[in-house]
Amino acid sequence: MSQIPVILIFLPVLTALFIYLFKWRHMHLLALLTQTGMTILAIVYFLHFKDQFEATHIILGGWSDVRIGISLANDGLSMAFIFLTLFMWWSVLTYLYRFGKTEHTFLFFLMFLQGVFLGLLQSNDLFNLFVFFELTTIIVTILIAYKKTGESFRAAIYYLLLNTSGVLLFLIAIVMLYNLYGTINIRVLSEVIHTHADTTILKFAYVLMMTGISVKAALFPVFTWLPKAHGVAQSAISALLSGLIVKGGIYLFFRINFLFESAGLPYHNIFFILGLLTALSGIIFALAQKNIKLMLAYSTVSQIGLIIMGLSSPDITTFYGGVLHTFNHALFKALLFLGAGVIIAVYRTKKLDEIRGVFRTMPIISVMMIIGMLAITGMPFFNGYISKSIIKYGFEDSVFRTLALYLVNIGTTTLFIKMSHIFFGPKMLSYPMKHRQQNITLLLLALACLVFGNFYVEIMDAFFGIDYAHITRISLGGLLDYGITVIIGILIYLYVLKKDVKLVKGIREFKISFETANILFIALLTVLTFYFVIL
Amino acid sequence: MSRKILLVAMFAVLFGVFATSMIELETLFNTYGKTYFLEHGYAETGASNLVTAILLDYRLFDSLFEAGILLIAVSGVIWISKHDVEEKNAKFMIDKYKTPDLFITFARLVYPLMLAFGFYVIINGHISPGGGFQGGAIVATAILILYYIDANKETNIGLIVTVEKILYLLIVLMASISIITQGAFFTNFFNPSADADLKAIYLVLLNVLIGFKVALGLWTIFTAFLKEGR
Repeated sequence: MSQIPVILIFLPVLTALFIYLFKWRHMHLLALLTQTGMTILAIVYFLHFKDQFEATHIILGGWSDVRIGISLANDGLSMAFIFLTLFMWWSVLTYLYRFGKTEHTFLFFLMFLQGVFLGLLQSNDLFNLFVFFELTTIIVTILIAYKKTGESFRAAIYYLLLNTSGVLLFLIAIVMLYNLYGTINIRVLSEVIHTHADTTILKFAYVLMMTGISVKAALFPVFTWLPKAHGVAQSAISALLSGLIVKGGIYLFFRINFLFESAGLPYHNIFFILGLLTALSGIIFALAQKNIKLMLAYSTVSQIGLIIMGLSSPDITTFYGGVLHTFNHALFKALLFLGAGVIIAVYRTKKLDEIRGVFRTMPIISVMMIIGMLAITGMPFFNGYISKSIIKYGFEDSVFRTLALYLVNIGTTTLFIKMSHIFFGPKMLSYPMKHRQQNITLLLLALACLVFGNFYVEIMDAFFGIDYAHITRISLGGLLDYGITVIIGILIYLYVLKKDVKLVKGIREFKISFETANILFIALLTVLTFYFVIL
Repeated sequence: MSRKILLVAMFAVLFGVFATSMIELETLFNTYGKTYFLEHGYAETGASNLVTAILLDYRLFDSLFEAGILLIAVSGVIWISKHDVEEKNAKFMIDKYKTPDLFITFARLVYPLMLAFGFYVIINGHISPGGGFQGGAIVATAILILYYIDANKETNIGLIVTVEKILYLLIVLMASISIITQGAFFTNFFNPSADADLKAIYLVLLNVLIGFKVALGLWTIFTAFLKEGR
């Protein structure tokens, strides 16, 4: 029973190896079987340890000294992320049911990635985190390059180089912490971290770690790899990357902040600003795009900014609002990417202007897509509304923060008003493909959006023990807010975006070269160093 | 130009902070981990090479995934460089007539020595410097020299990759046996209080498996690159 975390990590890895070794015809069924087994194991484990997460500390190798070996540990947050991981893999595996029948290599990488990601979530050891961090980067690189076109190679190498430099900063920080405390066990470290709170080396280690994580989580200004990678990958991989893998960076963001909690570093304001800049720059780039996958990818950047704004709050309810938004974003962004994948496959183009009449051609998919859009823009009764309300509630005291939140929201709404043009127009005459199991996946994700929009009180209470009863499903103010946002969005669309003014065109054609991206990366490191160490 | 000045300034700041923290470290340095491994390393793992003790016992879980990185890299390189994994008998770009005879003669002399040295490093990994990862790299280098001796050498990549995956499975299984004997994953399957010679059995077995896996992995990568170069 207590060894279930290890099994959860190795079951998908072993399945991946079996798939690679025996390329039988029905190997995708084995993947689904593993998935079922893992889901059952995770549920059993959660129900058993629900009230005693301190007991989930497993020391691998059974060493009596906690500070020496590697250990795994779980808490409410990691359990919630494990369930999200399993759910996302269910979606991708069912969505790719037909594709996975023949592409064994693809399934191999996909299943291996799941094991590695589950390891990243459960690890309680900094160096072990680094190993999983690195392995995720490499597998994702291969998945991005999987189509073997020039564009995907370029995006993959760009992703690999930038993320590897981030990961290396993380490694340097681990060396510093080990020299300082003699251990890299996260639970032990978080108890003793305050003993060297005022030293330069501790602050610098924090800065190095945070910069590495910022690259992984695609924060401003190092988000440039994300739209490239998510724009060229297959839609299912884009959904997985946007929905979950980027969240690996966000997960580490709050894990490391928890670790440094007692050192009392003033991280709240600077990460709020960074989150805001991420959100704004993401949405500005998104609005200018005309490729639906790039629009969705940049929208991921802006939503990550929103999540970081929530997570950087010192108030615990707002913090969990950010966590809830991480989950909600995973659900609706996966829904949108997968829906867009079907649309792109049918229309054979990614250009917004050339896709018309989706509603008459594919009514079911359109309904799902509209649910996703309503959720991401924050319509009452859908999940996006809840998490945005929680964050808004937490920012009530500050006019600046509230305004910033509204600004991001208006941008998102405008973006999806722009995108909703694909639904109008006449029916497509020749309708080339069937996509029944894709419909099932989309239906599952849409249902999940509705469940999270209506049963959030129970879910949050079960995982984190936080009471959100004060956030109502619907209120007059909320509806009014949403209406006004939509009206402003329509106005912006009609008067700025539709005319394609020079500024919009300029932003669309604005490219950040790899050299500039590196300079921005060093600049971020320097700014954080100034903020935390020198000032 | 202004970009360069900015970069230099930023690096100066970063280096200054880094130097300050390293100077600080002189007084703050914590030796807990170091002394622990020095005092208990041999007694608990039976390996007088403490690197092996950490790699194959204390932090075996990490090593499994470090080997996994190589596994993934090999599969990735093959996927990207080739269009058909089953393709056999590739010819290599090394032209027999361009390789000097002297080099071929010496390569023939050196080849068995390198192979023997590689195996020595693998098998004695728990006593002297070395181990599966390092020895595997040496063995792979020795195999690569074969391509200089015989330019028409045929390699069945599909088979090597399959064997490599099976070896990885065996490594994971070998590391997991301890859950039955010791009640905890990823350690020696003999009791920590057992004789050092007994525990060496496990270390040698694991080192050999890792060594072969690494050698095969590097061999595959090299072959894939040769084909790409052609």
